[in-house]
Amino acid sequence: MPRSKRFSSALNRRELLLPYLLVAPALVVLLALSIYPLVYSITISLQQETTTGVVWSLVHFKRLASDGFFRTAMVHTLVYAVAALTCEVLLGLGLALLLNQQIRGRGLFRASLLVPMMLPTVVVGVVWRLLLNPNFGAINGTLKRIGINTESLTWTASPRLAFLAVIAVDVWQWTPFVFLVLLAGLQAIPQEPYEAALIDGSSRWQTFRHVTLPLLKPAILIVLLLRTMDLLRVFDQIFILTEGGPGFATEMISLYIYRTAFRFFDFGYAAAMSFVLLAVTNVVSVVYLKVLQDER
Amino acid sequence: MRLTTLLILVALILVVLTFGCRQQHSGKQLTLAVVSGVEGEALKQAALDYEAQTGVHINIAQFPYANLFEKELIDLNARTGAYDLIMLDDPWFPLFAGSRFLTELTPLLQKRGHDKPDEDFVETSLAICFHPYQADNGTLQALPYVGNSQLFFYRQDLFAKHNLKEPETWNDVLAAAKTIQETETAEGGGKMYGYVMRAAQGNAAVADFMPIFWAFGAEMFDANGTPTVNSPEGIEALQFMLELGKYSPPGYASFNADEVSAHLLQGTAAMSINWPAWISSFSDPAKSKVLGKIQFATLPRGRKFGPAEIGNWLIAIPRHSQNVEPAMDFLLWATTAEQMKRSALRGNPPTRRSLFRDPELVVKFPAYPVQLRSLERSRPRPRTPQWNEIENAFGIFLSKANSGELSPADAMNQANAEIEKILKRAQ
Repeated sequence: MPRSKRFSSALNRRELLLPYLLVAPALVVLLALSIYPLVYSITISLQQETTTGVVWSLVHFKRLASDGFFRTAMVHTLVYAVAALTCEVLLGLGLALLLNQQIRGRGLFRASLLVPMMLPTVVVGVVWRLLLNPNFGAINGTLKRIGINTESLTWTASPRLAFLAVIAVDVWQWTPFVFLVLLAGLQAIPQEPYEAALIDGSSRWQTFRHVTLPLLKPAILIVLLLRTMDLLRVFDQIFILTEGGPGFATEMISLYIYRTAFRFFDFGYAAAMSFVLLAVTNVVSVVYLKVLQDER
Repeated sequence: MRLTTLLILVALILVVLTFGCRQQHSGKQLTLAVVSGVEGEALKQAALDYEAQTGVHINIAQFPYANLFEKELIDLNARTGAYDLIMLDDPWFPLFAGSRFLTELTPLLQKRGHDKPDEDFVETSLAICFHPYQADNGTLQALPYVGNSQLFFYRQDLFAKHNLKEPETWNDVLAAAKTIQETETAEGGGKMYGYVMRAAQGNAAVADFMPIFWAFGAEMFDANGTPTVNSPEGIEALQFMLELGKYSPPGYASFNADEVSAHLLQGTAAMSINWPAWISSFSDPAKSKVLGKIQFATLPRGRKFGPAEIGNWLIAIPRHSQNVEPAMDFLLWATTAEQMKRSALRGNPPTRRSLFRDPELVVKFPAYPVQLRSLERSRPRPRTPQWNEIENAFGIFLSKANSGELSPADAMNQANAEIEKILKRAQ
């Protein structure tokens, strides 16, 4: 009896161990590629190199307060995100409502709308850089041909136009995504509430306001959440299109972080800025999720 | 039981793989980090020749210009010794040398029976291989491989047509730009611009501005290292840049080298500052509408002599390389006159005086005498480890002035304050 008992407990132990062993490789990879760098970046953001060696200090976070470039880049990022998001959601919603109806050529419209989204953002940046070239670009070329004076339309060389241009490019590329998610949301809404609204004699606007919009809210919130996170960390298309210029006009926080780390060799300060961006993104996301949960 | 066997087996495979990879490292081999494009291509070809001649195995890691710096920086900082030789653009040198990332070459030269590098190297090219720059205690930490310095490009045919002489001063440039822009039209009836410059923030704006800045007698730092970009001369230089900008195509505040060259190649602009790497494209019928019409000169003067910016490619040996001795052998071989001539034939300006005067090369590259004159009197960008950050800040304010966001005085004052902040932080 004792022998067989020992045997069975050994078996049990092994069975208990097995799941851990199976999870171990994934855990190791996660630790090495995700947790370790995170901890490391927290460490370097709180350390300073001095002539006597590395010391713990809050110098990087203090510098944030006095860094005009950081403040401006942060403001640019927020304005950019709000402006692009507003346009994308309004346009996307409009398109989704339009193409949710029985109109001719619906399939073609739906398919062609998705093309910009499928392009890599770097390609989008290059294409728009060429289109927006003030002297050789297709946009000014077309305008010239129809008789518009393009002398002052220097796009990426004018601070205001450049900022509008980077917003427009994001709207061009990502409205299809918003459209796609909202269209799926619209199609998931059952017919019954609409029939009830019809019987109650509600107007089209009332139906939209009190039936469609509330039922579409989860889809809208998901779009807002995903797009906000993407917009706050925008990098590639702006890096290609304007590289943050002219001057500092389209510099976003992610570009400034990149420059600080990989051009100016200041990883500590770059890490500190990244954590501010992370905090902002987190706060926004938590607010969205809270609203989303309250809906349910 | 089976599980244990499996685990042991996996462990064994891992061990074999690890040591198997290690074993490849025995035997002589060198790893080079080179830049994409003609400069790196020449060194790559030379390395392959070297491999065939000596049997030393060569690995090449080739990166685009924008990535090369960060790849090298990360590797040197982590002390992996992954690269035995690195190509570097000369403005990076103070940071790399100042961080003690590079091997001192003089002891290695002495071991080979030389007390200093070959006298044939152009002085200005060799000077930027010493750290600290122009100091008595400077040590040699690289050798110059590609001898670029800025040149002044202008449309010979239009100058002749309007009886204009090769511009000696910046005021000549302005006057010529005015004459040409007001009287000429581009081929095909488009607008012709007198001058084209690049004022995109960062390197572009600074590179096109420095020759004007220096010619006006301005300096970035005084003798104590305090920034002085907002001196009256500095502000005057920026005012002049904006004046010249009136004859540059609209949108030049976002131009980089590509746009400048496009305007020259398309025949829509008459003058610019440019690098020798672009010379060959003007005689390429597939790209150029101005075949044989572009002339090259040294940079104009202002109140003072107007030096060109030097922009050499250097080769250095990382301090943590495991193969310092074979790397030095290769470095000396690749920078001999014989090998550098082959690189020159592939399109890279040399850093040796004898090659700039080599009859065969001068026939192929008629601009060589001008290039040598420009290089010999060129100036490096200020030799500070913070150069990338300073150039970035300076470029932002130059670009802001050129896009009309700031007045020249405001731009220079703000740039000066920002550069002060950068230097203070570095202390």
